Amino acid sequence: MINKRSWPHYGALLIVGLILALIPLATGGSPYYLRLATLMLVYMTYAIAFNIIFGHTKQLFLCLGALAGCSAYLSVVLIRELGLPPVVTMPLGVLFASSLGAFFSYVSVRRGLGGIFVGVITIAFSLVFYNLILGLRVFTHGEDGMRTRGLGFGLLEHVLASYYILLAILLLSLLLYHFLMSSRIGLAFRALSDNEKIAELAGIDVTRYKVFAACIGSALFGIAGASYAQYNGFISPAIFSLVSVDIVVFIMVLLGGMGTLVGPIIGAGVFTIVNEFVRPLGYLNLLVYGAFLVVLFLLFREGLVVTLGKMVKLRIP
Amino acid sequence: MISLIIDGIIFGLQLSLLAVGLTLIFGLGGVLNLAHGQLAVIAGISAAGLIGAGVNVPLAALLGVLIAGASGLVLDRSLMLMAYRYKGEARLLLGLVLTLGLSLAIEGYLNYSFPLVALSISLPILNVTLFGIVVRTTAISAALIAILTLLSLFLFLRGTFLGKAIRSIVQNEVGAELCGIDQASVRTLIFVLGALMAGLAGIAQGLTTSLDVRMGMELTILALIVATVGGVRSINGTLAAGILLGVVNVFASFYIGTYLTYIILLTTAGLTILLRPSGLLGYWT
Repeated sequence: MINKRSWPHYGALLIVGLILALIPLATGGSPYYLRLATLMLVYMTYAIAFNIIFGHTKQLFLCLGALAGCSAYLSVVLIRELGLPPVVTMPLGVLFASSLGAFFSYVSVRRGLGGIFVGVITIAFSLVFYNLILGLRVFTHGEDGMRTRGLGFGLLEHVLASYYILLAILLLSLLLYHFLMSSRIGLAFRALSDNEKIAELAGIDVTRYKVFAACIGSALFGIAGASYAQYNGFISPAIFSLVSVDIVVFIMVLLGGMGTLVGPIIGAGVFTIVNEFVRPLGYLNLLVYGAFLVVLFLLFREGLVVTLGKMVKLRIP
Repeated sequence: MISLIIDGIIFGLQLSLLAVGLTLIFGLGGVLNLAHGQLAVIAGISAAGLIGAGVNVPLAALLGVLIAGASGLVLDRSLMLMAYRYKGEARLLLGLVLTLGLSLAIEGYLNYSFPLVALSISLPILNVTLFGIVVRTTAISAALIAILTLLSLFLFLRGTFLGKAIRSIVQNEVGAELCGIDQASVRTLIFVLGALMAGLAGIAQGLTTSLDVRMGMELTILALIVATVGGVRSINGTLAAGILLGVVNVFASFYIGTYLTYIILLTTAGLTILLRPSGLLGYWT
């Protein structure tokens, strides 16, 4: 597996890991900034997952928040109602999210619905999710949300330790992404994102690879969502809403560069900072999100990574 | 019971009015306009603002609708022009993302600038009795607006030369082009028409209940559901689906509750996409 062409990738992974590992020092012990940095790690993991689903196999999932939320809510509700330990409920949540993603993908590919209907089905699902959470008040406490307690054994309970646990999850996701893309699967992804029909003619099982991408991506959403729920100590539908997850993650991936290794990371990092400036504006943040989405999708499809790479004449993975 | 059905039909007509614009724009332009509900909100909020400034109600409503139409024109000539450069799937995707972004931008701006403005029109006479059932005059006028608009749309599409040209593009883009129909200008016309109808739907919403700045996304999703259930290219289907879903909506929220109603509607849309992607009355194109 380890060949020469992978060296830049490992180098990039190492640099990303080092920089992110040092960030808690840069926050200067401020709990607010440490929390923000932790949230950034979660969004970076989301962005990697979305990059696999949309960046590589062109499936426009608009239920990202709902996938993360399903996993988070399922794991938390099972702990509260049945008294199961988080070690059992979190994998269940992740499994649920991943099978949901696989289901949407399978149905849309099999029925030949095309990109637009994936978007419509998934946006409908994210509203179903939101309304279910509000409607099933007995289990979910509706808009008021619920308190969560961490994993036990001190995991995801202390702020600084949680940062490194979530960083480990992020780096593992990045590693997974790298191995996926440097294997035959990555080759198939590239082929089918260029031209599905030709890929099919070349003997690539398009359905299988698309469903696989959706499955892996949704599982990552599930993992990130469920661990964030435990870390945060509180979950509510607003944390997993369309605007706070789907739109933001979409912008992050577009900004950093779709289909690249470090693009989603850079995009998520930059946009977290932008978001901090936008937050005091209240509702006007939607205006900024909308403008970002339109401008990036129209004029900046390549993303920061490729643009920067051209400027310094270096191939950034 | 009967009053529930009537309520359902009236709500359904409004839904159809909203969704027909979406259907036409999708069938003709190949763009699913996710900012459609925001156009309704623009009409409603402008009308509410004008009424607040002392303009009389019918004139304010008319101006509101015209403002929605003008916004549609601007949208078609600016952002959508970028999408029209592409074909097929690429155009759909670009259109979807651009209108989603625009929808967010409009919602953000309106919520920031006019957070408390809402349109709620009341008429001098409150209720009338029809066949022994008390019906609100506002509901009747909303239904009348919807029926008249839809009727004139049908007559326009069936009877006039331009209407036939429009239907020919929906059926076969290349064939229509070969017959010498200028697609770009017809597309703009339909976009503006769709925006005007969305505006009327916004006014109708203000008549029956009330319309506030936060409802844009919800209206878009409702229109999307109706359009998919009815078949995104079929106008008759959209009308039927609107009335059907309107009745289902009223009954379900009366007997079951609002949240689950929403889920029923969304599941219907999901199932329709899965089982009959061309819609209930749809045809393959």
